[in-house]
Amino acid sequence: MGNTPAVNPPSSQPTVIEKVIAFVDERVGLKQMQAKMLNEPVPGGSRWAYVFGSVLLFIFIMQAVTGILLMFYYVPTADHAYASTQYIIHDVDYGWFLLSYHFWGSTAMVVCVFAHMSQVFLWGAYKPPREMIWLVGLALFGIVMGFGFTGYLLPWDQRAYWATTVGVEIMDKTPIVGDFMARFLKGGPTPGQMTLSRFFVIHVMILPAALMGLAGLHLFLFRAAGPAGPFRGTAEEIKAKTDFFFPRQIWKDIVGMAVVFASICALAFWEPVVLLEEATPDPGDYHPEPEWYFLFLFQLLRLKIFAGEFGQFLGAIALPGAFMALLAALPFIDRDPERNIFKRPVALIGWIVVMVSILLFTMSAIINREFLD
Amino acid sequence: MSDERDSLSPTKIGLGVLWPAFWTALPIKLAFALVFLAMDMMHFEGRLGLGFLMFLASPVTVFATPIITMGLESHIGEGAGIALLFLLCIPIDIWALGVVGRTYFLEKFRKEPPDGLGVTLWWKCAVVGAVFLPLLWFIVGTVTSTSISMAHSLFEMELFKGIPVAERISAELSLWGGVSVTVLIVLLLIGVSLIGRMIRSTSETARPVADSYQHVVTRWDLMRVPADQGLMLTALTLGGVVLSMLFWAGLPVTTPHPHECCKKPEVKAEPPFKPLESLNKDEKLIAQLEGQIDALEKQKAEAEKDKDKGKGKKAASAPEAPAPKKP
Repeated sequence: MGNTPAVNPPSSQPTVIEKVIAFVDERVGLKQMQAKMLNEPVPGGSRWAYVFGSVLLFIFIMQAVTGILLMFYYVPTADHAYASTQYIIHDVDYGWFLLSYHFWGSTAMVVCVFAHMSQVFLWGAYKPPREMIWLVGLALFGIVMGFGFTGYLLPWDQRAYWATTVGVEIMDKTPIVGDFMARFLKGGPTPGQMTLSRFFVIHVMILPAALMGLAGLHLFLFRAAGPAGPFRGTAEEIKAKTDFFFPRQIWKDIVGMAVVFASICALAFWEPVVLLEEATPDPGDYHPEPEWYFLFLFQLLRLKIFAGEFGQFLGAIALPGAFMALLAALPFIDRDPERNIFKRPVALIGWIVVMVSILLFTMSAIINREFLD
Repeated sequence: MSDERDSLSPTKIGLGVLWPAFWTALPIKLAFALVFLAMDMMHFEGRLGLGFLMFLASPVTVFATPIITMGLESHIGEGAGIALLFLLCIPIDIWALGVVGRTYFLEKFRKEPPDGLGVTLWWKCAVVGAVFLPLLWFIVGTVTSTSISMAHSLFEMELFKGIPVAERISAELSLWGGVSVTVLIVLLLIGVSLIGRMIRSTSETARPVADSYQHVVTRWDLMRVPADQGLMLTALTLGGVVLSMLFWAGLPVTTPHPHECCKKPEVKAEPPFKPLESLNKDEKLIAQLEGQIDALEKQKAEAEKDKDKGKGKKAASAPEAPAPKKP
């Protein structure tokens, strides 16, 4: 009896899953990667204000999933784009929901980009050593706007056709490259098959590839510089509250994603996508206007000071261009290390003025639409 | 530190509890709202955002919404889901206010949270909301409609007649929007401050905490971690699976039609323009009109010929007419 070999209890034997994980870990360093991703310290602890980046990633993944499902049915030709979109809405099971989710998802993406940029700006998180993250973030903002602009044409109804026409005309006013860009996008004197093909390729191939590359770079730079943390509180308080990324920040991120998912679904139920008549070169009584997030600019161009060729250039190109250039130069102009927004009155007032102006002109455009109707 | 705690304004206290409690309860409420929407149990009117806010901002709206709906004749929608969601919001809010309230008492007041804090805060918030929100609704509504008409009549004056439409719309909106937003913000701050006062009065009877700051942080941190994490995770997963199944079971296969109560104005575009058809039609019309004009001209020419013939005969028989005298 005393010579019988000791038998290990069954629980000490690795299971098949553990063996597989060990196999992969040995080759790719899975555990090290996991530790690096989840054990990132969050200075001052987790916060709801930090969820926007993860939420944006989630929205992009959902847009990609719904977009791929829609591509199973959508035909990107001027003859069939409208009919295939109607087919998705009326004949494909849950097609209306997929399309409406994709449509409202793009709106959610723009809202979250604005929220994320506002949070970074107000928290002073663009300041050294995070200038590169801010710059890549601005490029990502441009890509999100590009997604909205190119995706809007694809249903090929009157709204899509005329919003694109207005957008391309605005682009045409850019000095030097404007004419080339407008001609390249349209592919002819008026929007047609070439326009649709080009917008489709940009929407489903070029922009997703650019977004994936830049989002990866954005995350890499964020990891390299580390989170900025709160702008208020003593060093003792921040140190006492510092926590790892997992589990609390991950939990908040998941809640943020759930809220966004539920909000998009609720909007899809409340206002499912309904197409207007098929695109034609005659607007009839339809008043062409761009997507809601470009409405403020559209309304701005209706003001008398922006009338005429030069005024239109000033309002459509020079002002937004100068604003974007200012945003890009911001980390290099604002060298003050102070991050507390309540001690940066110019930044706070500037942010309020921009937000109120966008809100005011967007609402004015809606009232103006009623006036025109 | 003690001075800072004593000097906490009621508005700060109110915001410090209500804002995180709102976000804590929101995901659970939204999940139920989504299932009810998918199952066609809730229909909102045009003001979806407002309707949603009414639910999600409970507990302050739990009694206030029925009062506003009945007393001030403001209708947000129809369906059994609306009442059911309001009932479901009660335990969710009690839990969220309890979690947030306990943390707040430890962190900001450095006081031991009393037993049943969630229930206490819930009913107090509900009562304050029931009195204050209908008042806010009425005042903001009246101020908005008055300022809209005043702004409109101001721009009807002769002095401002020449202002272009786009400028006029923005200026009018700035005027009435500025007034109503200011009134709304002031009233909201007063409401939040009332709730803050009520929370502070609840804290006055609580025992002070003697632990160090680090220990207090650990305590409120652990308060948010469930005692049995496995059970919590299983319950959450099961809840998620059940809600997902209900969602997909209830989701309409084809586009849902809006409920009778909440029909939106139909968006109509002009009939499509078909250039060839239009051109042919116009050409036909032009040809037809040309024919008519030719016929009329012929008729006129014949009539003039007949007239000339008649005149010629008359002229041959009658004497020459005298020239008219100049005045």
